[in-house]
Amino acid sequence: MTNSRLESIEDFAASVAEAVGATSHSSDLGTVKVKVERERWVEAVTAARDIALLPLFSWLSAVDWTNDVAVGDPPAEEVEERYEVMCAVSNVTDGQIVVLSTDLPKDDASIDSVVGVYPGANWHEREAAEMFEIDFIGHPNLIKLYLTSDFVGHPLKKSYALISREVKPWPGTVDVEDMPESASSDAPSFENPDA
Amino acid sequence: MLDPSVLHHLSEAAVAIELETPDMTLNIGPQHPSTHGVLRLVAKVDGEQVYDVQPVIGYMHRGYEKISEVRTYPQIITLINRIEWVSGYANEIPFLVAVERIMGLEVPERAQYIRLILTELTRLSSHLMFMGSYPLELGASTPLMFALRERERVLDLIEGVTGGRFHPNFNRIGGVKPAAGAGPSQKKLVQDLPKGFLEDTRDAMDRVLSTSDELEDLIAGNEVLLARTKGVGILPPEVAMAYGVTGPNLRASGVDFDLRKRSDYLPYDQLDFKTAVTETGDCWDRWWVRLVEIRESARMIKQAVDQIPSGPLQAKVPRVIKVPKGEIYVRAENPKGEMGYHVISEGGQVPYRVKIRSASFNNISILPHILERILIPDIVAIMGSLDFVLGDVDR
Repeated sequence: MTNSRLESIEDFAASVAEAVGATSHSSDLGTVKVKVERERWVEAVTAARDIALLPLFSWLSAVDWTNDVAVGDPPAEEVEERYEVMCAVSNVTDGQIVVLSTDLPKDDASIDSVVGVYPGANWHEREAAEMFEIDFIGHPNLIKLYLTSDFVGHPLKKSYALISREVKPWPGTVDVEDMPESASSDAPSFENPDA
Repeated sequence: MLDPSVLHHLSEAAVAIELETPDMTLNIGPQHPSTHGVLRLVAKVDGEQVYDVQPVIGYMHRGYEKISEVRTYPQIITLINRIEWVSGYANEIPFLVAVERIMGLEVPERAQYIRLILTELTRLSSHLMFMGSYPLELGASTPLMFALRERERVLDLIEGVTGGRFHPNFNRIGGVKPAAGAGPSQKKLVQDLPKGFLEDTRDAMDRVLSTSDELEDLIAGNEVLLARTKGVGILPPEVAMAYGVTGPNLRASGVDFDLRKRSDYLPYDQLDFKTAVTETGDCWDRWWVRLVEIRESARMIKQAVDQIPSGPLQAKVPRVIKVPKGEIYVRAENPKGEMGYHVISEGGQVPYRVKIRSASFNNISILPHILERILIPDIVAIMGSLDFVLGDVDR
C-alpha cells in the first residue's frame, strides 16, 4: 500500500470516528477500527449507516479476550478479561470498511441488538450468541443457528477445550521439529529381510 | 330433502365466498436437489403461496474458526480451501494477504500474477457450474453439457499448475508453491508454470468466450426460462446491502461494487475490465451478470497471460512462520461475493482468533425476505439464482 492510500485511510478513520462518536480509532495495517461505548452501540451503528454513509453490512462477531486459554496460545501480554463485539460495515463507493468495536464485561455479557439497523445482523448475532454466550437484547429470534438446540457449551470461548487436543497434543509441533539427526537407526527399514 | 333448485342455489353461494384453505407447514430439505447440499427450509404455505420461510442451517458446520486457533498459519490454508469447494483456490487469497500484510512481506509480482490467473480461472469454474446447474433446476438440461465441458478444460488448467482440481493448496505465505523438483540441486531448472501453460490458457479462453455465446443463445432465447426468471425474486439494492448480500447478486441489483476494482489485494489495477451491473435485480439479472463476468474473466486472463512478468515466486520467509502482533481485516471478491478474514495475531505460530466472513452466509440470510409471498415453484428459481454453496454458509 502506498503512503497516500494509508493517509487517506487515516482521514477516513477520523471522519467515521467523529460521525459515530467514538472513544478512539485506529487504522493500523489499513484496517479501520473504531471503538465505541457499549451503551451507545445501537446509536453508533445507526450513525455509521446514516451519517458516515456505510450502507453495506459485512459481518458481526466477537472475540473472547482472556489470559487463561484452554486452546491455542494465550495473548502476548496480559489483557483485560472481556468480550469484544465487532461489527464491520462498508461503503459501496470506494471500498472502505470500518470495524466498529465495543467491550463487554464477562459477568454481564449483554448488548443491544442491531438487527433493527442492519437486518443482516440477525444470523451473525445468533452465531455470536451461541458461540460466546452473549445476550443480544431485543433480537427477534435468538435461538441457536449452527448448533443443535440441546448442545451444551459455547465453542468459541477460549475456555472451551477441543477434545482432540486432550487426546493428542497439538500437531503443529511435529511439523516444525528439526529433522532427526540419526534417522536411520529408528526409521523402519524397507529392505527385504530375506534377501 | 330440500328442493333441488334450493340446493343448487346453496352450492352457488358456497363457491361465491372465497375458499379458505388451512395453512400448512412444508419442510424442504435438508436433502433436496434444489438446496445444493444440506439446507433445510421450513415454509408455511397457503395453497401455492409461500410465506414465513425459515432456513435451518448448520448441518455442515465444521468449526473452522475454532480449529484455526490451534493450527499454524500454513496449516490453516489447507482448512480454508474447503470452506467453499467450488472455488477453493480463491478462498485462500484474502487469508494469505492478511498474514502477509501483518508480517510485512512483499510478494513478488510474478507470484501475484499467478495468483490472479488462478483466481480468475476459479471464478470461471464457479460461474460455469452455475451456468450449468441453474438452467437444469429450471428444467433445461442442455446448457449443463456445454458449461461442464468448458469447466473441465478450466479445471485441467488449474490442475496443470497446482496438481489439484478442487483443493489446490497451492499458495504459500509470501508467494506460491515452487514446482515439484525445483529444489536446491536444480536451481537452474526452477519451473513454476507447466510447459505450454500460457499458450493453452489463451486457447482455452477463446473456447470459453465462444461457449459463453452458445450459452447465451441457448438460454436467452428460451421462452420458458425467461418466463420463470424475469421479474421473479426481485431484490432491491438497499435491502441487499442491509443484509450484506455481495458479489454478482449485489451487482445484479444495480450496485456497482466489485472489490477487484476497489481493493488492492491482487494487481487487478493493471488489467482492463468492466464490472457487470444490471438494474432490476431479478433472477434473470443474476444469471446475466454471471454470464458477463465469465466473458470479463476470460478477457482478464488473456491480458494477465500476456503481461505476466518473470521473477521469483517467493518472498524470503523464515522456515517457521511466526506472525507478529497485529489485527487486520482483508476481503476479496470471491466468485460468490465478499470473502474476508479478520485475523488477530498475538505473535507466535497460531492466530488468537480468525473470523471468517463468507459470502454465501450473508447471501442466503436474505432468503426469509426474498421468499415472502411467492409461489412454491419460484423457491427453486430464486434459490438457484443466488448461487450459494452450503460449505460457505456453514464454515
